[in-house]
Amino acid sequence: MEEFLQQLTNGLAVGGIYALLALGYTMVYGILRLINFAHGDLFTLGAYLGFTLLASLGLSGLASGLLAAGVLILLSMGLVAVAGFLLERVAYRPLRKSDRLSAVVSAMGASIFFQNALMLVYGAKSQVYPDGILPEASLILLGTEVPLTRFLMFAASLALMCLLYWFVNRTRVGAAIRAVAIDQDAARLMGIDVNRIISLVFLIGPALGGAAGVMIGLYYGQITHDMGFTFGLKAFIAAILGGIGNIPGAMLGGMLLGIIEALGAAYISIAWKDAIAFCVLILILIFRPTGLLGERVADKV
Amino acid sequence: MKNSFCRSPVLSVIATAILLLYANPAFAGVIKIGLMAPITGAFASEGQDMQKIVALMVEEINKAGGINGDSIELLVEDDGSTPRSAATAASRLVSKGVPAVIGTYGSAVTEASQDIYDEAGAVQIATGSTAIRLTAKGLKRFFRTCPRDDEQGRVAVTTLSKLEFKHVAILHDNSAYAKGLAEEAKKLIEEGKSASIVFYDALQPGELDYSAILTKIKGVKPDAIFFTGYYPEAGLLLRQMATMKWSVPMLGGDATNNYDLVKIAGQAAAKGYRFISPPMPTDIDSPAAKAFLAAYRAKYNSLPSSIWSVIAGDAFTVLVSAIKAKGTNPSAIAEYMHQGMPAVDGLTGKISFDDKGDRKGDLYRLYEINGKGEFILQKN
Repeated sequence: MEEFLQQLTNGLAVGGIYALLALGYTMVYGILRLINFAHGDLFTLGAYLGFTLLASLGLSGLASGLLAAGVLILLSMGLVAVAGFLLERVAYRPLRKSDRLSAVVSAMGASIFFQNALMLVYGAKSQVYPDGILPEASLILLGTEVPLTRFLMFAASLALMCLLYWFVNRTRVGAAIRAVAIDQDAARLMGIDVNRIISLVFLIGPALGGAAGVMIGLYYGQITHDMGFTFGLKAFIAAILGGIGNIPGAMLGGMLLGIIEALGAAYISIAWKDAIAFCVLILILIFRPTGLLGERVADKV
Repeated sequence: MKNSFCRSPVLSVIATAILLLYANPAFAGVIKIGLMAPITGAFASEGQDMQKIVALMVEEINKAGGINGDSIELLVEDDGSTPRSAATAASRLVSKGVPAVIGTYGSAVTEASQDIYDEAGAVQIATGSTAIRLTAKGLKRFFRTCPRDDEQGRVAVTTLSKLEFKHVAILHDNSAYAKGLAEEAKKLIEEGKSASIVFYDALQPGELDYSAILTKIKGVKPDAIFFTGYYPEAGLLLRQMATMKWSVPMLGGDATNNYDLVKIAGQAAAKGYRFISPPMPTDIDSPAAKAFLAAYRAKYNSLPSSIWSVIAGDAFTVLVSAIKAKGTNPSAIAEYMHQGMPAVDGLTGKISFDDKGDRKGDLYRLYEINGKGEFILQKN
């Protein structure tokens, strides 16, 4: 039982990261019907920007490690949001009216661009976050020992997700985002500035991805220029699992994928971990083609 | 005014001619040597270091007058860490007419290029490709300056039994190299009955979170973990074991011989980690190794971060001595390297080859990381 709970917390911690990333995929898809393949690389960008900020601003000298981490996450979120905004302007907006395939190719191009740009700037070697920023304490949860940082990472992901959910569902701008997702032309007729809403989505999604990147760097220490691929792919799958285009779906999908992976590794086979996760995905898609919380089958191509 | 001056065709022809004159003051010949290395992709840090080392050695030889008066031109092609781009890289080097090629790191990547070099009649010296099958194909002009996986497996199992670990967990990463080594070790342990294998499975490289795997291994209570994969994962495993407050001795293969491991794991978590590897140049008491390290430090202001790039330097040293003796005919070079070549003083010790093209001699040593993150060679 203790091992089960331990594995559950392992899964939830990774799942929180998948969920944060999946939100970026799902929001962009919800609005533009576009898979933003560069999203995983924006996450990597966040990790690297956090690394640079940490090294250059001397944040590790701040009194509290947690405060430093918080400031770092917010700063990186801001910078990655700007990168996401520029990405949309340069790579997606000129193609908005063209074939959907062109936009997908453009997204893949942007992904390759980010990955190689990071490699050129930071080198091909993995970079390592400085040690000892986060406290090393642990908590006892349900009888198992969980590192405090792990718990905080999960709590931070959850807080960001709740904030987003509130923003999209309870504010006027959020209502505009939902309107654009349903019908761009009708939204425009209602006086919504569609371009601004799309830009906003490209600020929010990448910001969340950037936060995930910094958290990964702080907790695992190691970041590489190509890590966005693995995490991006997993998060993309999480988004589909939960029903792409659906915000609570992305959160659920991410958590679920993390847990399936951890339990699959624990009770079946580690080497087959990914295969198990993908089998579950296939099964879910067979019985619920739109994902767990997916809806609006008609307007999904 | 300036523009029209530069555009003048006559002037540019003269300028080119002058440049060429300066480039080859003695009008000596040029010997082309190929380097196929993973400049991009998963092993990019290895490949970029390989390029740095070989380029430095080429520069030094050329400064000292080249080989028999001919200067060396190094042609670098990127194998992208994948077999597919290796085939392209090999074709490009072959089409430029190189008599000999150094490279490459990954075994599967090397394998994809072997036939291309062989058909073109070029000598190939692999530098990090330890898979056994590469030299079992009977290719006359294929060599490697790195040891083979079966030798590493043997040394690993001997080390495990010397350290008296009775219950061993073996973890690999499903790559051809790591899986081969894990299988070899498993076979030897089962044959020798020196220990029991309580866990045997693989992790997925590139994922940063291995706590699920570690939790599972912890459940079977091993005396030691033998990890056959690469240094980024080894570093993460050590770090996450420390976070779990679980300490069990871990032994690694030669792909974990990289100082980045200490950076990733943190000094405290890396302390006590052992691995087997060919000796580091800093641990070799030869003039060649000392001079090389001094030159490398002077030029790049650091030390090579891994042994495999240094072994690429060994390949270059061998080629230079073979070309010095036999000229640039690939078949003559290959024949000389198989037999007749006296042991060459390389960066990782003496180098000579057996008739299969494998490096002769016992190359593996045991290392342990101390509290300062230094790799300490263990006495046998």
